Amino acid sequence: MALFQISEPGEGRAKEACTTAAVGIDLGTTNSLIAIVLADGRPHALAVDEGSTLLPSVVHYGEGGGPGSVVVGRAARRVAADFPRDTIVSVKRFMGRSSADPETRRLSPYRFAEGDSGVVRFVVNGGRVVNPVEVSAEVLRALRSRAEERLGIKVNQAVITVPAYFDDAQRQATKEAGRLAGLEVLRLLNEPTAAALAYGLDKRSQGKFAVYDLGGGTFDISILQLQEGVFEVKAVGGDSALGGDDFDRALAEILLEGEEHTPRKVRQAIDAAKQAKEELTRVDVTEAMGRRVTRSLLEKAIRGLIEKTGGPCRRALRDAGVPDGKGLDGVILVGGSTRVPAVRRYVRELFGLEPLADIDPDEVVALGAAVQADLLTAETPQHDVLLLDVTPLSLGLETMGGLVEKLLLRNTTIPARATQEFTTFADGQTGMDIHVLQGERELVQDNRSLAKFTLSGIPPLPAGLARVAVTFQVDADGILSVTAKEELTGVSQSITVKPSHGLSDEEIERMLLASIEHAEEDVQARLLIDNRVEAQRILKATEKQLESNGDLLSEGERAQIEGEMAALRAAAQGKDHLLIHGEIEKLDRVSAEFAKRVMDRGIERALKGHSVGEFDQGDLSPHAKKAYSALQEREEPVK
Amino acid sequence: MDTRKCWSCGHPHAAADPVCPSCGKVQPPPPAGSQPDKFAVLGLPGSFDEPEDLDDRYRALSRKLHPDRVARASPQERRFALEQTTRLNEAYKALKDPVRRAEHLLALRGIQGDPKMSPEFLEQTLEDRERLMEAKASGEPLEPLAGAVREKRDRTLREVRTLVEGGGDLAKAAELLARMRYYARYLDEVEGRAAEL
Repeated sequence: MALFQISEPGEGRAKEACTTAAVGIDLGTTNSLIAIVLADGRPHALAVDEGSTLLPSVVHYGEGGGPGSVVVGRAARRVAADFPRDTIVSVKRFMGRSSADPETRRLSPYRFAEGDSGVVRFVVNGGRVVNPVEVSAEVLRALRSRAEERLGIKVNQAVITVPAYFDDAQRQATKEAGRLAGLEVLRLLNEPTAAALAYGLDKRSQGKFAVYDLGGGTFDISILQLQEGVFEVKAVGGDSALGGDDFDRALAEILLEGEEHTPRKVRQAIDAAKQAKEELTRVDVTEAMGRRVTRSLLEKAIRGLIEKTGGPCRRALRDAGVPDGKGLDGVILVGGSTRVPAVRRYVRELFGLEPLADIDPDEVVALGAAVQADLLTAETPQHDVLLLDVTPLSLGLETMGGLVEKLLLRNTTIPARATQEFTTFADGQTGMDIHVLQGERELVQDNRSLAKFTLSGIPPLPAGLARVAVTFQVDADGILSVTAKEELTGVSQSITVKPSHGLSDEEIERMLLASIEHAEEDVQARLLIDNRVEAQRILKATEKQLESNGDLLSEGERAQIEGEMAALRAAAQGKDHLLIHGEIEKLDRVSAEFAKRVMDRGIERALKGHSVGEFDQGDLSPHAKKAYSALQEREEPVK
Repeated sequence: MDTRKCWSCGHPHAAADPVCPSCGKVQPPPPAGSQPDKFAVLGLPGSFDEPEDLDDRYRALSRKLHPDRVARASPQERRFALEQTTRLNEAYKALKDPVRRAEHLLALRGIQGDPKMSPEFLEQTLEDRERLMEAKASGEPLEPLAGAVREKRDRTLREVRTLVEGGGDLAKAAELLARMRYYARYLDEVEGRAAEL
């Protein structure tokens, strides 16, 4: 590869030769960073946002919907409080999640659209609908273009980091976001592994280390062994829905006591809580929203959250064969949330070791990713090391009775393979459903469904005679492919797992098309299509409710709703997406009271013994959905 | 010994060589035989105890075979690397575990399948489990119970070792080895509680 010349303007540094255009990217919940190995053989994080290496992972969708209307970073964060619904913060929490996921319903100011695929989608400025992959791609695109500007070279390959505990759906979504941003994703690298890579190279250490990574939205624990140039991940664990954001939210709940929860207020409270939390790493008392906030108040609010990290740590230590942390040579702290003194104290107690934090915990992951990018692309890498990573969660198949048969256990070194033989259950059975699952639980319903397919063409034999071998192969990226083969005839079928909760092929295609810089009319066309689809959905849902709950309306009310339905139908025939959107909103408004009554009836029925969860949320209007979520939140989850 | 030619440079080499001794390119894995020798994958002779250099060999081979080491090579060589590394990981994992290592050793000597467990042993197992359930229900410390089972496990493994290394009754060795699974289940159950705390 040619040597590129790069300049670092403003820093008075001489031009430096750069041997690769492959970068490391830490796509974080709160902040994202981009780093590259320069000719000095060391990884450097690039200043990409107002002189800082941290680009807040905040995307604001402005007026117009054109390419220029999207703002990323600090500039977006500044307007977040004023445009809470058009500014997506911490989108990583939504990656690969379905709209039914409890995570989606937590305290947040967004407006969600309901889609057939079940993927979370945000409704932003002008009724534009974006999904988490598209939002993440905006962050990546900003990092890429700003780095290109800084380096003066094209950046087209990247190692992107993910929490070790990300499941297949979340990994696929991250890879897709990279592709959408025009990057060849060389590797998805687990964040703690990346951090250890940065540390290991820096300290030339040998031994067993724990990496305690508490970021904005995710917690990861990894146990690694560094020896003879091989970084072996021994065990990983964590919680993909626990992080500093939860600290902010816990404090925000206190700040909001007795206040109305408007989107704007919620956003303000979260921002104030975040700021207070950061200040309390240095001082004992501060103020937020006119209230005195002490460090002990914060610590009381977040103690339970911090202690939630203990379970995964103990499990990982046991999996790695170092129970109680005896025999560990060090604990590395990663992630901005490890700056909180209470967190450091907890880690010290848990592991019985003084944690290491010499490398900036915000930059360490991106630096490690840059090292891995260099290892994978450079003719002569700057460092001669090899990373051996593991599967974060067990992979298995559904068997009789809704049970899961695990084929590959968590913490298996990848690439890995496992084969299991299954047989037919009924005489003359010619097909077999293969249901692929990820997780540690015994029952199918408690694990994540990754894929379903059918092996057909099994010769009709008495039950138990046909032999079907199912093979799981996980590649070095942690991506799974599954093959089912009937041994007698050799009939086989294989798939690369596309998660059921992920995005459909058409959706990915649509996004890829959309990602190619749009002319204004293309954007208009897309908005038109989106709004027409939304109109149809809402019309169908309203019709269904009129049919089954029409008795709740007076004739006049019914006529009003039907009138609006007719207006929306007419608008949907036309080409004005703004008009359609306006009519959708109107129908939404006139049917709000109806929706409320339907909900009340639902609650009444629930009290009579039916579960609220039995109602199909998809059929409800946004107003009803809000009521539904509120109701669900009040119902304490039973453990 | 089977030999074959390197797909890249044509140099003849042993079929079991994962990389060409002449040009260093990753070779395709040998065709799956009836009973692939996991020891041989790591270039080791079969043994009951963990070979001293198992970890070192695993790391050294990983450094030669891992897909990351040939990330810039042809798709063909990358595929070979994926297959070889998968096979290496499989073998290493099995050999790291004392029970699976012993099972594999027996399999290589022609002893396979699930041996029949003696009724006395099964009865004892049931009793042990009942005792554990009682202890759990009454909140009595589990450690003494776990300790006793651990001791039984270690003693049984030593018996297997004597049989295997001394050329004794291999079928008997297989039966004793199968008991290890029951002990492991038991200990999992004890530790399952420890992890919840």
